[in-house]
Amino acid sequence: MTPPHSFADDNLPAQPEVLLVDDDEVNLLLTALALRDRGFRVTEVDSGERALERLAEWTPDVVVLDAMMPGLDGFATCRALRSMSGFENIPVLMLTGLDDDASIARAYQAGATDFFVKATQWGLLAGRLQYLLRASRTRIELERSKAKLARAQDLARMGSFDWRRIEGGLAMSAEGLRVFGHGPTDRMTLRSLLRMVPKDGRRTLMRHLHEVLRDSSVLKRDVPIMLFDGRERIIHVEAEPEFNEHGHSTGYTGIVQDVTDRRVAEDRIRHLANFDALTGLPNRRQLIWRAERALEHARRLQHQFALLLIDLDRFKIINDTLGHAAGDELLMEVARRLRGCVRHSDQVLDVAMEAAGARSHRVLEAVGRLGGDEFVALLPEVGDDRDAERVAQRVLEVMREPIFVSGQECFVTASVGVAIYPRDGTTVLDLMRNSDVAMYSVKAQGKNAAAIYGPQLAGQGREKLELETALHKAIERDELVLHYQPKVDVRTAKMVGAEALMRWQRGDRLVMPGDFIPLAEETGLIVPLSEWALREAARQARAWQQSFGFADAIAVNLPSRLFERSDLIEHIHHCVTSVGVPHRVIMLEITEGQLMKDLQNVIPALHRLNEIGVEIAIDDFGTGYSSLAYLTTLPISELKIDIQFVRDLGHTPQSSAVVSAIIALARSLGLRVIAEGVENLRQMEVLHRLGCAIMQGYLFSRPIPPDEIERWLEQTVLPRKAPWIGQAGALEFGTDAARAAGARPY
Amino acid sequence: MKPLAQSKGEIPSAQHEGTAVNATSISGRPEPAMPAPAMDAGAPCRLDEQALARLRELDPDGRHGVMSRVLSTFEASLLRLLVQLTEAGERADGAAVAALAHTMKSSSASVGALALSELCTSAERSLRAGTAQDLPALVRGLSAEVQQVLAAVRAMLRA
Repeated sequence: MTPPHSFADDNLPAQPEVLLVDDDEVNLLLTALALRDRGFRVTEVDSGERALERLAEWTPDVVVLDAMMPGLDGFATCRALRSMSGFENIPVLMLTGLDDDASIARAYQAGATDFFVKATQWGLLAGRLQYLLRASRTRIELERSKAKLARAQDLARMGSFDWRRIEGGLAMSAEGLRVFGHGPTDRMTLRSLLRMVPKDGRRTLMRHLHEVLRDSSVLKRDVPIMLFDGRERIIHVEAEPEFNEHGHSTGYTGIVQDVTDRRVAEDRIRHLANFDALTGLPNRRQLIWRAERALEHARRLQHQFALLLIDLDRFKIINDTLGHAAGDELLMEVARRLRGCVRHSDQVLDVAMEAAGARSHRVLEAVGRLGGDEFVALLPEVGDDRDAERVAQRVLEVMREPIFVSGQECFVTASVGVAIYPRDGTTVLDLMRNSDVAMYSVKAQGKNAAAIYGPQLAGQGREKLELETALHKAIERDELVLHYQPKVDVRTAKMVGAEALMRWQRGDRLVMPGDFIPLAEETGLIVPLSEWALREAARQARAWQQSFGFADAIAVNLPSRLFERSDLIEHIHHCVTSVGVPHRVIMLEITEGQLMKDLQNVIPALHRLNEIGVEIAIDDFGTGYSSLAYLTTLPISELKIDIQFVRDLGHTPQSSAVVSAIIALARSLGLRVIAEGVENLRQMEVLHRLGCAIMQGYLFSRPIPPDEIERWLEQTVLPRKAPWIGQAGALEFGTDAARAAGARPY
Repeated sequence: MKPLAQSKGEIPSAQHEGTAVNATSISGRPEPAMPAPAMDAGAPCRLDEQALARLRELDPDGRHGVMSRVLSTFEASLLRLLVQLTEAGERADGAAVAALAHTMKSSSASVGALALSELCTSAERSLRAGTAQDLPALVRGLSAEVQQVLAAVRAMLRA
């Protein structure tokens, strides 16, 4: 229970301190007694002079002054204390006699907060003091929050105003004046404000203001103005109408705020969200937005529109060889040229759309960048295919000129796929996809051309898309497997190594490398695929080592781009050490063609691989145009005679000439030589006679799963049951005999 | 409360705060000539019962001796004012008389000396308005009423 005179709930001091000043001792005593009884702490003094003395060193919560006192009376005391610093706002209650109107007026003049007619009803006095204290507290809080508001408004570049219809006109707060670049004492009228609005905006603003006033509606608008120093700002004005008791609108009250920075930021954000930072062209989002508008328009007006997907053909090579900065430079130039191929509009605003009327869709025309080296040309209205084709040809045309980047002349071509609404799709998504299909068909047929979508293309594209998606997941789903084809030394009839070949177990179908490796190369998936193959080959080497003492190498095919990766060595190292086999169990095969193409980039890796014990074989040897000079210096260990020469052995004299030349070359360079694709005894015989004893082919074994390799060894090689074994034993020993030495159980 | 300054011979006694003793017996001087109708009429108290009741409310169980403190303060105050009133009357200082009347007006009302309060009110009003004809008579009237109230207060204090 709270006592009746508690101040706790008023958020006031528990015991407010009162300075009581009265010359009459009886009143002083009685008033003090009464107030103490009601929870006040009372300090009594009997004259104005004493009161001021006390106040010099102490601040009560409230002062109660008797008006009539000898010496310094209440009025003079009040005036004096008001002039003391810190007492400007202290509540002062003046005690006056009954019917003393003059004293009441004088009390207020002297700065008293309120008066109280002396009476013997003490409860009334206490109540009045509580009220004064509460009002004073509220006033302090109000002052504080006013100060806070002013500061907040200042920070927010905001101010408030009032506008009266009849008299008074515009009253702008100091903060509001500052928003308009005025000082706090300047005057502003509605007229002077309107003069700050540039002429072209003034008329529409006036019209808007008239409408708002006529309807007494809410005013909410961004107004561009020009300050007196010439700076342009955008002021947000928001005001609500005020009404009198008869319901008539009397004026407006509201705020003004400088929102220039916000608007600039918003515009910037909108631009960033819709335009490509590198080329300044509309980005994917903006393109799709425009395409959607174009589609709506075409549907409504029943005309066609075209979407051209433009993909640069050799961009990746340029990016990889000249670096990203050069790539960016090139893209900027391409963007500049493509822009010239259409009636490109940079900005599309809703207003612009409205203003342009029936031909408004023309402003949608643009070239944009989808990302990477992919661009789109949007033609919002085409009469027929030929319109789109003309633009496509123009695109191919502008690319013919060489582009200078990083001081080099680059030639870039493009593949263009065209889809036309409504024939090739009725949604933007369909049109994008089908232009992509058409573009891919161009790529497949040799690039640097344009094609219009046709349903016959669809299957290919979709199949490919599905394949790509599935291949992405093949590794994580463990769908890839390695099959192995043994390398055989026919003199000893023993396995001297194996080549790992990748297979994709896709559902119940085994997909051959020819069906997915090109796609993997194109999409870059070849990297994780190859890395997986290395890991798997190392694991298999370890398994074979344990099961039958395998100590040779498993050859893994790698594309040249893998050799350019700086982490290849580290990866191989990790693969072999994690399963505990030496580095030499991995052998790498690179085709002659790839090696020669990227020779400079590949050589450093070859040296380093050689240093750690990983041997390199050149695959398909004889098909490329190897520089013999290079061959002498390359750190390679093995040449693999291409399958086509082996196939023709015994049929054409040229092939045996080539084969013997290769063998002679290998011998002179100290390299091993191995023949691939050996299918019959006759080929084997010829090869052996020419000096090649290590072979690989269906004659010995197809590529088979690893566990079948073990069975093959057990059931065919060890019992020496195969036809080639007897044959081999009958052959003369070739010059490679030394290499095949070593008694192994297989 | 401070001890009252003793000045003119007419003032018979000076009293200390809180002493509820007859002034006459202390001073040993003759009491001033004063009609004491209230006293001999079995002290029909000149103090208003309602006002006294309000005073009692300030100290319902009388623990703090509020009533006696107030009454003795009032008595001392009246004695002091009476001296000042007499002096002012001799000087024919109307403004001073008005100020004294003003002071007595509210304190006497507080204690319930309503007749004195009213007398003070009209005296103050006529003096301030400049309508007072006979200052010595007015002062005499006031003094007489003060004496009566003093007697009543002393009676209360003795009781």
